Amino acid sequence: MAATTDSVKADASEAPLLNKTNLIAGWMLYLVFYSFIRWYEGVYGWSAGLDSFAPEFETYWMNMLYIELVLEVVIASTLWGYIWKTRDRNVMSITPREELRRHFTHWTWLVMYGWAIYWGASYFTEQDGTWHQTIVRDTDFTPSHIIEFYLSYPIYIITGVSAFLYAKTRLPAYQEGLSLMYMVSVIGPFMILPNVGLNEWGHTFWFMEELFVAPLHYGFVFFGWAALAIMGVVNIEVEALTKLLKKDLA
Amino acid sequence: MKTIKDKIAKLSFVALLLAVTSAMFYTPTASAHGEKSQAAFMRMRTIHWFDLDWSKDEVAINDTMTISGKFHVFAGWPETVDKPEVSFLNIGIPGPVFIRAGSWIGGQLVPRSVTLELGETYEFKVLLKARRPGDWHVHTMMNVEGGGPIIGPGKWVTITGSMGDFVNPLTTLTGDTIDLENYALDNVYFWHALWMGIGTAWLLFWIKRPMFIPRHIAVTSGKADTLISATDKKVAIAFAVGTLGLIMVSMGSTNEKYPITTPLQAGLMRGIQWIDMPETTINVKVEDATYRVPGRAMQMTLTITNNGDSSIRLGEFNTASVRFLEPNVLEDESGYPDDLLAEEGLTVSDNSPIAPGESRTVEVTASDAAWEVYRLADLIYDPDSRFAGLLFFFDEDGNRQMVMVDAPLIPTFI
Amino acid sequence: MSASQSAVRSRAEAVQVSRTLDWMILFTLFTAVLGGYHIHYMLTGGDWDFWTDWKDRRLWVTVAPIVSITFPAAVQSMLWYRYRLPFGAVVCVMALMIGEWINRYLNFWGWTYFPVNFCFPSNLVPGAIILDVVLMMSSSFVLTAVIGGMAWGLVFYPGNWPIIAPLHVPVEYNGMMFTLADLQGYHYVRTGTPEYIRMVEKGTLRTFGKDVAPVSAFFSAFVCIIIYFLWHYFGRWFNKTDFISGEGI
Repeated sequence: MAATTDSVKADASEAPLLNKTNLIAGWMLYLVFYSFIRWYEGVYGWSAGLDSFAPEFETYWMNMLYIELVLEVVIASTLWGYIWKTRDRNVMSITPREELRRHFTHWTWLVMYGWAIYWGASYFTEQDGTWHQTIVRDTDFTPSHIIEFYLSYPIYIITGVSAFLYAKTRLPAYQEGLSLMYMVSVIGPFMILPNVGLNEWGHTFWFMEELFVAPLHYGFVFFGWAALAIMGVVNIEVEALTKLLKKDLA
Repeated sequence: MKTIKDKIAKLSFVALLLAVTSAMFYTPTASAHGEKSQAAFMRMRTIHWFDLDWSKDEVAINDTMTISGKFHVFAGWPETVDKPEVSFLNIGIPGPVFIRAGSWIGGQLVPRSVTLELGETYEFKVLLKARRPGDWHVHTMMNVEGGGPIIGPGKWVTITGSMGDFVNPLTTLTGDTIDLENYALDNVYFWHALWMGIGTAWLLFWIKRPMFIPRHIAVTSGKADTLISATDKKVAIAFAVGTLGLIMVSMGSTNEKYPITTPLQAGLMRGIQWIDMPETTINVKVEDATYRVPGRAMQMTLTITNNGDSSIRLGEFNTASVRFLEPNVLEDESGYPDDLLAEEGLTVSDNSPIAPGESRTVEVTASDAAWEVYRLADLIYDPDSRFAGLLFFFDEDGNRQMVMVDAPLIPTFI
Repeated sequence: MSASQSAVRSRAEAVQVSRTLDWMILFTLFTAVLGGYHIHYMLTGGDWDFWTDWKDRRLWVTVAPIVSITFPAAVQSMLWYRYRLPFGAVVCVMALMIGEWINRYLNFWGWTYFPVNFCFPSNLVPGAIILDVVLMMSSSFVLTAVIGGMAWGLVFYPGNWPIIAPLHVPVEYNGMMFTLADLQGYHYVRTGTPEYIRMVEKGTLRTFGKDVAPVSAFFSAFVCIIIYFLWHYFGRWFNKTDFISGEGI
């Protein structure tokens, strides 16, 4: 936060309420990483991604799949484990200022979650449409699926669960139980990943032509609705933040 | 320090944009086209492509090439694939690297789906105009509703030149000459920019003031009505009236500018003309057929009866686009794709001419690595273990007769 | 005022904190809604939205408004009823259209080389503005459903016609008549999408001639009213701040 009064300036050595570096670095991390992925798709989608029986497909795409799956498991377990392990056992006794600071960190996580959902559910999902209308789908693991289902979805799941765990372990506002909408907003989009099972099962019956509005895809739609539960999370946050700020804002 | 950081940030962003852009303009060597994934029975028992000709191996941007030939719609069509009552003559290329300038079955232009009859043979032609440089695998392809894409043989074709030079000129029925590649693009950008600009203005009008926490405090303390002022209401009405006004004006001006428009054209095309094939004078009975897994060879015992008036010899077995030739009878001169051509792949235990009226039982072996490479050997794992294909016989004058075979197949593993 | 009693040290800081959070909340709401709305829209009406040769007078006009009024109704139930912010519909539609444009440009054109004049998205802004203004002026979701929902369905086609009209000019090609949009679909090969997949101009309503689009729009408007109600209540449910017991989960 920019210092606006003398009292704030006096306390300059204190950690800022919002760590802007983390916010910008996090945001850029997704952007740079996904731009690299898009570049990779642009080059190796065409040169190695059209025939899943070709050796170059194994080199550039199946290896990509194996690497990303391993990394996702490692990152998820490390990150979630760390957030849980370093949880605050006296969360109800923190100072209001510390609570506000944690809300900002929580919002940094939520900004990342929204950003990750954009890349997964919008960017790479619609991209899948154009790739499958262009090529002949000859495997469940097409280049666009390897990126969409097995990279961009796990990344938003990792981000969303991290945000949830952060809130649960560090914020007093989430101590009275489990927030229904927070669970929906994390578990709903998560369910899109297992729903890939339905998708691939169905495609072995109804073959490989790409009709995006096919009823087979409605599982994704249903779980996509869960993104709306972010509204409930916003409401919980606004109520909690109102309690922290009300007398100063009124 | 901060300026250096800013510079690095800016430069990385530029580098990023460059990376994305360079990927867009990258000229690739594409890999093949995924046909191997198709179940062997799909390729053996549905559409049989033959007499194919790719008019060019290399073509410059804006130049055209054709793929022409014939396809036979197999009478023993598998139960798991819907009959080709709604079919579309497609082309197996990676997206619009060519544009499809025309496609014909039996001389009829077929931009829409058609009905095909089982057991008939059709002549087809696809005209392609080169659009994007690269090496592309160009396949024949038939899509069948309820079945999916049935991919025929593919051949590498090189497109040279630059995509920026591609043009797609057309003259409309209203007399205008246009380039479909970028026709009306400015109009699309203009209207989308205008409407999204209006949407952004509406958003800015609201988000420039404090949003969530203060407004929540006001709403929960019963002061919700104070949040919308009389000016806000006037602005809102102006937006709504402006929206309706803009719609009306733009509709009017569009109809004035384009007085003649027609609905999208759709509908199934029936009555596609097939080739009247002469009645065959050869009768072939499959006594048995086995696929020897270690030897990559299919062996058939055939009883061939010649009811014609000229002696005949077996020259070719064609299944799933793989051509097994008997080199003493037939040589390929059409430039058929190497990987699908077994030039010496067919052996016949006794391939001396079968005289008119004669009936002979022979052992026919079709062997080639193509069984494995094209995953036809997977046939033995199909739930309906049958094979099918075309046999081509040649008489003394070189006339050709085509006979379908369709029989159970037994694998042997030793 | 010590740090242990208040989260902020001055009113000015409180205002600043609140404003910073505004932007973080708005960004998250924008991107999360964009993701959910986009996946919903592309899988319920996407093919009509992707290609000009699907943008017909009947099914596109009917389907696109019905499936697209969903998220705006839900988000309005939050932004208006909890914050008196009348941009729920516009923020959804802007998010969706930005997401679509990025995709159509970078991927449909940039990765698979379909010309942009063949794969641009539908315009949903006019209906969204009317929906937001009706809710703001009436402060009633019932009136918004009936008047706004109906307007949503009715203005969709006229709001898009100036964009697609040039592509409905007829052309003769190898002895058959096409619209330019049909020809785009024929020329620019979609290997995985044969012609018969296209759901356009089906049924005998075609015999109504030029009145097909208004009839379709009117039917769509009717369904939009119902969908608005449904999604308003969905929205309310998604707005819940309830906690459940963690036991047994």
